[in-house]
Amino acid sequence: MSAPAASPDFFTPSPFTKRLAYAIMVGTVVTVGPFLLWPALAVLFFGPNDYLPHAFCYLRRPALVWTHVTADSLIGLAYLAISVTLAYLVYKARRDIPFHWIFLAFGLFIIACGGTHFMEVVTIWQPVYVFSAAVKIFTALASLMTAVVLPFNVPTILALAQRAKTSEQVTATLRASEERKEALLREVHHRVKNNLAVICSLFYLQSTHTRDEETVQMFRDMENRVHSMALVHERLYGSENLARIDFAEYAQALAQDILSAHGSPGPPVQLKSDLEPVIMGADLAVPCGLILNELISNAFKHGFPDSVGGEIRLTLRNGADGKCSLLVEDSGAGIPEDLDINRSKSLGLRLVRSLTQQIRGSFDLVRIDSRTSARLVFTVNDHER
Amino acid sequence: MIMNADFINSAEPRALIVEDEILIAEELKERLSRLGFSVIAAVDTADEGIAIATREQPDLVVLDIRLRGEKDGIQAAREIREQVDVPIVYLTAHSDRLTVERAKATEYDGFLLKPFQRRELQTTIEVAMQRRAIRARQKE
Repeated sequence: MSAPAASPDFFTPSPFTKRLAYAIMVGTVVTVGPFLLWPALAVLFFGPNDYLPHAFCYLRRPALVWTHVTADSLIGLAYLAISVTLAYLVYKARRDIPFHWIFLAFGLFIIACGGTHFMEVVTIWQPVYVFSAAVKIFTALASLMTAVVLPFNVPTILALAQRAKTSEQVTATLRASEERKEALLREVHHRVKNNLAVICSLFYLQSTHTRDEETVQMFRDMENRVHSMALVHERLYGSENLARIDFAEYAQALAQDILSAHGSPGPPVQLKSDLEPVIMGADLAVPCGLILNELISNAFKHGFPDSVGGEIRLTLRNGADGKCSLLVEDSGAGIPEDLDINRSKSLGLRLVRSLTQQIRGSFDLVRIDSRTSARLVFTVNDHER
Repeated sequence: MIMNADFINSAEPRALIVEDEILIAEELKERLSRLGFSVIAAVDTADEGIAIATREQPDLVVLDIRLRGEKDGIQAAREIREQVDVPIVYLTAHSDRLTVERAKATEYDGFLLKPFQRRELQTTIEVAMQRRAIRARQKE
């Protein structure tokens, strides 16, 4: 059973909610309190009186009256809208901008200013001048408070702006260093691949100095092995994060390269692949690539002796918990039945055995009907994926 | 192996190699001569490559994209093609999209990745020369 995730609810309010509730409470007490304590105040504010409404001053001229009404209403509404936006902003940015009483002071000041303008509209018809005076006094206090508090907060606001600027600079520096690192990594992969290409050239050049077929074949094998390593770096170079590759894509490319290297004159061999994406780091991809190179090359060398051709089937499965299996099958003659993979003296099989040990995997040969399957099972660790 | 004579004019087609990795150039020399080419030169800068290509007008130019000096292979290909129509095959150790895109913007006849496979080299060169032959026929 899992406990519900802790989140601020009504009983455990966030500091922001607490402060807001406090502010609303104070506001309510200040506005409603006087009326409760002194009921005569209501009569004083709103009771009958002998004052004349402002419309009298304007001689009830519609143009003047409505100009005042419209202008004051618009100003009042604008103030209201500004304070609503301000409140929304403070609420939304409560995690990024530290809550500050200055915001509340500003809001109050703006709302109060709006109130005085609304009162101007009311007093055109209703001479509630005492209430209007009270609203003005309230506005005066709110404005005064804001005017006094604001200068003291100038350093804080400046610090806030400075912090924003600094964080922007830090982000830019980080991005630049990230780009430099990426360029450097690309350069490294390129160099490694280029050097491996030079090694391939060396093997090739050396192979041209002998007529002995067996020796030539040895150099070709070495060239192919180095090529399988170079291909990892080529994939890394083109990969997004420069650290991991999709082994399915790699396997397809390697198989095709080996196929074209063994091409005519030779038996026509088809490649059939069914590969699931397996993302892995270079330290796993290099040994896996070398193993795959041995298995495919082996299938070519021994799988199709009678120039009839056939097919090589590649299967890559990405199972649960990062457990992957790689199958190489050939439809040809396959591996001798009495072959013991743990004792075989062939370098290819020895390499497969050692590399399997290195990646903590397991390797076995399965012979079903005329098909020989070589199966490699290994685990891709979480940190590598 | 001798090239298909269909698109080769002289008995021995002439090739120029522009590659700054000298051992890879050596391998190319060896491989090209086995394919029936006579390699007229192997140089390691774009400027030398441009000079020889325009003067000698070889039947094939194999051009590494990354080269010593100011100009790279793509720039060299552009300058060679402005003057003479020779089949150009790019050679590079990296197949990143940016390089391929940049190379694609120029006229070329083939693309090879280092280290190259035997068959790949042969077919790429065959296709490149065939393309050049078709272009020449269209001009007539």
